[in-house]
Amino acid sequence: MTDPVQNETVSDRNSRLYDERLRRYVTAMRNGKPDRIPMRPFVAEFAAKYAGYTCQEVTHDYEKAFAAARKCAADFDWDAVVGNMVYVWTGLTQAIGLKYYGVPGIDVPPDTGFQYHEPSEENAFMQPDDYDALIADPTAFLFNVWLPRVSSDVAPIGSPATYRNNLSFLKGGMAMWNYFMGFGRQVDLLRTESGTVHAISGILKAPMDILADKLRGYVGLCMDLHERPEKVRKACEALAPHLLHVALSGADPQKNVPITIWMHRGCVPFVSYKHFNEIYWPTLKPIVLEIWRRGHQTLFYAEGKWGAHLDAFAELPDGSIIYHVDQDDVFEVHKKIGHKFAISGGIPNVLLSFGKPKEIREYCKKVIDSVARDGGYIMDASAIMQNDMSVENMRAWTEFTHEYGVY
Amino acid sequence: MEQNINKNELPQVAKLPGVCIPWEEKLREIPEISGDPQIAKKVWEDVDALGYTYVWHCLVSF
Repeated sequence: MTDPVQNETVSDRNSRLYDERLRRYVTAMRNGKPDRIPMRPFVAEFAAKYAGYTCQEVTHDYEKAFAAARKCAADFDWDAVVGNMVYVWTGLTQAIGLKYYGVPGIDVPPDTGFQYHEPSEENAFMQPDDYDALIADPTAFLFNVWLPRVSSDVAPIGSPATYRNNLSFLKGGMAMWNYFMGFGRQVDLLRTESGTVHAISGILKAPMDILADKLRGYVGLCMDLHERPEKVRKACEALAPHLLHVALSGADPQKNVPITIWMHRGCVPFVSYKHFNEIYWPTLKPIVLEIWRRGHQTLFYAEGKWGAHLDAFAELPDGSIIYHVDQDDVFEVHKKIGHKFAISGGIPNVLLSFGKPKEIREYCKKVIDSVARDGGYIMDASAIMQNDMSVENMRAWTEFTHEYGVY
Repeated sequence: MEQNINKNELPQVAKLPGVCIPWEEKLREIPEISGDPQIAKKVWEDVDALGYTYVWHCLVSF
């Protein structure tokens, strides 16, 4: 009897693989049990290393980042990847004149990942007396106050227009369009070249995280939480509908893959329980609920340790999120919320980067035997993988998951 | 601390998401529309939203 799979074209093969992988990935994210554990490594600078590029090349030339991601996806036979987990294109940030990036090959060595420079408290991009302007009209505040402070080229309102100012908006806008269109092509190429699913679609950040990350800085925010908590809360409320809008504008129209929230410094001990319970969570939870009402899941990429807040997250409807484990104990997280939500990650990056293949297999076996036993688990490292990850370990991890992760 | 926000609902805001310059504001600056006002409104809003996308992605994504 002829095996139809043997006679299929490359195109048919990739189409079949895509369908299988999408079903596997989505089933696991819905807390179900697929045919095997889906593998969705968030490989950033590792992809550069594997494909033979420097960090500078993949950060400053996004076509190389895309090519590296596609090569990894094809060679490792993963179910889902991000088209460019390095995610920033510093050609774009340079065109705008953004000051807060350390660009590989320019500000940092060419084989060091890009960096964020957080300004000192006194030089924060938003000052304490700016709260009212932000709250009154966040979009106008970003254009009129924030951009001139974060860009070396954008002229403040009231000052003379400059050549650099005009070019910042023209080049920045066109470069952003270019990059986003490139991402669309990348999603298609992943599907057609290797049958790989694009893992996520749409970006979310918590209002309070945005205040810390890009506006007041972490130290400034902490001072504000004590000195002017009402302003912080009102600012978070003012930002929330806009952050929802941004998230939904990039969401998967098919409602298969989740919007991702990159969770930074809104947890204990960066902030107190009081501030989490009174500001962080009440201004994030309605966004996540609205995303769920619109038919999308949210991937909680819980960077660091968020175990202190699992009871709060458990208030969300079953299946509305996928909880990604970074430094939390993946076994404890599974006990606490595994009945409500799928879990991803929890394989320590230190183990993957510096452990022996045998140690990786042993740890993954424990995770598969307990956390993934009944489905609802997506294999991934704790955090995004940079160029300290060994190729040998990546192969061992992938092969073991494919072999042992069959249900 | 005063809690204005219902924990499950987004607050109402004066300035709508997705908008830099509202159509109503632009409408006051242009001559009376002799053609289809809906086309004029839609195109203005669609292109205006690109400006919104730009600055919010500068903040959130980059």
